[in-house]
Amino acid sequence: MHDNPITRPVAELSADLRAGKLKSVELVENAAERIKTIDRKLESFVCIVDDARAQAAAADREIANGRWRGPLHGVPVAVKDNYLTADMPTTAGTAADMNFTKEDSAAVAKLRAAGAIIVGKTRMHEFAWGNVTPPSKNPWDTSRVPGGSSGGSGAAVAAQMVPIAMGSDTGGSIRIPASLCGTVGLKPTFGRVSRAGIVPHSWSLDHAGPLSYTVADSVHALNAISGYDPDDPGSAHADVPDFTAALGQPIAGLRVGICRNHFFESNQPDVGAAIDAAIGFYRDAGARLVEFELPILAYGLGAIFAIELSSSTAYHSRNLANGAVKGFTDDVRTLVEMGRLVTGPDYLKAEQLRRVLIDDLAKMFTDVDVIVGPTCPLTAWPIGEWTVRVGAQDESVLAASWRLTYPWNLAGLPSISLPCGFDRAGLPIGLQLASRPFDEMTLIRAADAYERGHDWKDMHPKI
Amino acid sequence: MNELESLVDALGIELDAGRRAAVLAAFQPIAQEIAKLRSLDLTDVHPAVVFSPLPTDRQG
Repeated sequence: MHDNPITRPVAELSADLRAGKLKSVELVENAAERIKTIDRKLESFVCIVDDARAQAAAADREIANGRWRGPLHGVPVAVKDNYLTADMPTTAGTAADMNFTKEDSAAVAKLRAAGAIIVGKTRMHEFAWGNVTPPSKNPWDTSRVPGGSSGGSGAAVAAQMVPIAMGSDTGGSIRIPASLCGTVGLKPTFGRVSRAGIVPHSWSLDHAGPLSYTVADSVHALNAISGYDPDDPGSAHADVPDFTAALGQPIAGLRVGICRNHFFESNQPDVGAAIDAAIGFYRDAGARLVEFELPILAYGLGAIFAIELSSSTAYHSRNLANGAVKGFTDDVRTLVEMGRLVTGPDYLKAEQLRRVLIDDLAKMFTDVDVIVGPTCPLTAWPIGEWTVRVGAQDESVLAASWRLTYPWNLAGLPSISLPCGFDRAGLPIGLQLASRPFDEMTLIRAADAYERGHDWKDMHPKI
Repeated sequence: MNELESLVDALGIELDAGRRAAVLAAFQPIAQEIAKLRSLDLTDVHPAVVFSPLPTDRQG
């Protein structure tokens, strides 16, 4: 009997649950106990569901009666607090009274249909703006931020309270906390997973996806939540393969792209060294390395700011008009108010740049299968610190942290972050991969091969 | 009065003095990035705006 079964990956839990060697009730109780003891320090959860044990008992009965729904059946999962839920309130991280509907978002409904037990909701940066998620803390060093905006999900998974916690990603909000907390974080292709019932931040940039212990765990979640949804105007009519078929596959001959500008211009030395080692792994495994540059990325930050700010301000126009923004935190109120300074031509120029980036990447993907690089140029920074040394200069942590993630939101490409080492302070470093639109199979194949070749996933914070 | 302050006035954005100063200060570095974007000549590029009219019988 495992002391803490909830700390095991989904494939192991699922096999034991299906075989009757483990009960979902035990898992839920183990998760609840760990949340009760560990989360006093981390503050990663904002809400715990009342009837998780009853839901787990029902799952156990179904499985015992031969009605096994799949790998998530009976497995505890958490969701970010911008996913609407019928049985728990939604705040989207704000103290202002938004009165969000109590109904399941599409992704939550799909997770429940797959048998997952939604045990609670994780803390997020207000309205998914920002990337520090106060007051959540990083399990590797509680004096440091977990990243954000899905910081609660990152901390909860890193501390092994749940194997999967859902996040949302507008400019890096799944991958940044995954990188800083040492978990896997998967942002699927735009349109792959419905955002219906997730509080919007920026309609054309928002993505839903999992943070998890392992690549395979994220794959099980992706299998459950993918598919067309008419309730999400951005949803795509795309075939949904069984993504687990990409696990355990060889990578000899894979063409691995390395974009030498933008992604390698200013990283902390330990981050750069870890990424170089990861690239060496792919080379040694028989992949072909292809170096290239994407000059258009020099203009990307202005583009994503123009789109994100104007979209967020448009979404919050009612809150601006009725004064509800006065209840927002100062930094988020400022961001919502400043979106009015982005002009119409600026917004459309940003969308033109986006088209150039998409086209340039499409050309590049005739020569490469995946693109690798760092997820973040830095590791987790101290809470309350706003500038940090990156490369040869002091830089705003807010500007630095999403520099390497937002290009994949602008282009809508699938992207994943997975642990690839630690810096000299013992803080996790994230490796980021991206692939062609709707080619999560290649992304997963490349990420899983790297994960299997290393033991980073077996290293956990001492809390 | 600089360009951003003029824009706030021209758009009729009502902010008290404290909020106005905070918003303009925070927007300053972003405005620099957007200025770089404005310098690009993308005249012949169609923006990546999602707009796909469907016949009535194909609408969800």
